[in-house]
Amino acid sequence: MKIYKTKSEKETLELGRRLAETMRGGEVVALRGDLGAGKTVLARGIARGLGIKKPITSPTFVLMKIYPVKGHGKIKNLVHVDAYRLEGGASAETIGIADYVGRADTVCLIEWAKRIKDCLPKNIWQVDLKAGETEDERVVEVKK
Amino acid sequence: MLILGIESSCDETSASVVKAENGRFEVLSNVVSSQIKLHQPFGGVVPELAAREHLRNILPVVEEALECGAAGDDGGGEEGRGDGRGGAQQKIKLEQIDALAVTVGPGLMPALMIGVETAKALAFVWQKPLYAVNHMEAHVYANWIDAKIEFPAVGLIISGGHTELVLIKGAGKYKLLGQTLDDAAGECFDKVAKMLKIGYPGGPLIEKTALTGNPAAYKFPRPLLDQDNFNFSFSGLKTSVLYFLQRTFPEVMGTGQGANGDEARIDPQKLSDICASFQQAVFDVLIQKTLRAAKKYKVRQILLAGGVAANRTLRGKMTEAVEECKNGNTGRNGKGSKAQKIELIYPELKYCTDNAAMVAVAGYFEALRMGTPMPRLASGSGVPSLRSGGNKSGGWSKIKVDSQLDIT
Repeated sequence: MKIYKTKSEKETLELGRRLAETMRGGEVVALRGDLGAGKTVLARGIARGLGIKKPITSPTFVLMKIYPVKGHGKIKNLVHVDAYRLEGGASAETIGIADYVGRADTVCLIEWAKRIKDCLPKNIWQVDLKAGETEDERVVEVKK
Repeated sequence: MLILGIESSCDETSASVVKAENGRFEVLSNVVSSQIKLHQPFGGVVPELAAREHLRNILPVVEEALECGAAGDDGGGEEGRGDGRGGAQQKIKLEQIDALAVTVGPGLMPALMIGVETAKALAFVWQKPLYAVNHMEAHVYANWIDAKIEFPAVGLIISGGHTELVLIKGAGKYKLLGQTLDDAAGECFDKVAKMLKIGYPGGPLIEKTALTGNPAAYKFPRPLLDQDNFNFSFSGLKTSVLYFLQRTFPEVMGTGQGANGDEARIDPQKLSDICASFQQAVFDVLIQKTLRAAKKYKVRQILLAGGVAANRTLRGKMTEAVEECKNGNTGRNGKGSKAQKIELIYPELKYCTDNAAMVAVAGYFEALRMGTPMPRLASGSGVPSLRSGGNKSGGWSKIKVDSQLDIT
């Protein structure tokens, strides 16, 4: 497990970019943290690291967003999921998440992953975001 | 021509019969069955539940739209499952329907599928052309129902899933000027309402709570307001409201519950002030960016669309801002520019939230765009033409939806 401290939104974004560089495809990342903890920012950083230029907008409404990835080896898709309103793997299957999870050409970022844990592989990345000492600081724990 | 519109993209099942003649519209029926109560406990729409409920409701809703249509009853509004008015009337016959239109996205995939499959089946059985409609476009087209639209116009589309500013040069001719870079405006309302523990859906509840509040009581950021573009960002605003609450009301925000398990609550007046101030922050950005776009592109009209456009406070403030603009008072970044004649248009409340009347209207324009010969209103035995212009297979258009659920 690695613990990172970021002092600003910019640094959280940069951390995401660096995490993206270590990805090879097939990663499933559970992003954990309260409202406002910076899950969106970290997701945007990872997307930038994978060369995605489109805005990474919240997946809350449509539950899952898919972004094509180019020029990063085997990685062809980034999938961003908000599982808050899902219950169990069956519902994850209905909206098509299960088609992408663990696929070698796909990186999945999943918020509220515990709600669909029965359709996730065992070895997933756990990323916990917590508030730091000041409002702009974040403590990010990464367990691979 | 008579168009049957079908909508099931999120949590409302809706069907509507709209009579279209020379770009003028008459809504003969607009039946909406809302599932809001079903999803309330979850604080958002649950796709599985939504799909099941759509499946249960879709045929009765279509049936009723056809019945009310003949009676000239427009379905009785929000909760509008027929109120019995004109029930004895003959229903619209299917020969009278010239085409169908259905929302194909964006929306929740399992929910969308119910409407799309129903429309496809009906179109096949009835042998009528079917037009695929983009939900966001349909929201913009809701403005055509009661108003005469003049171009160029700028459209502000604001809902739970979207925040977009588009330049409209003609029916079906759009340019995206800007959009949210993270959360949609409506989503921000929902999330802030959740933090304040005032319930779901957030928009109407915050608006109501804000009525007795002072919009200048607290200062929240106006994200991206100073940037010279038409993009929006509401994620940061949500976070700053959260910090403000944690700082100011630690006992309420702490772990969600007080020491003895009772939920601590914010004083009602303060709650109203917070809602009013938060709402003001969102509206300031929406209004000023929209006006900037209106001036830059010298538009004749500003169109509001989407669920958040149902917010009366926003309508009021937007009206004021447009009036000011008309009088040549262009605010702080005006360089004594000439007064510009801008008209503000917004749909009736029932056409702001999800409904099928807007889908039918969008279907009409889609038919025009595809060069379908417009059949005259079917009289007696006149069976309308089934062939539609650009399509090979008799009125079927192949629907392709990409991963963002946008039509490609």
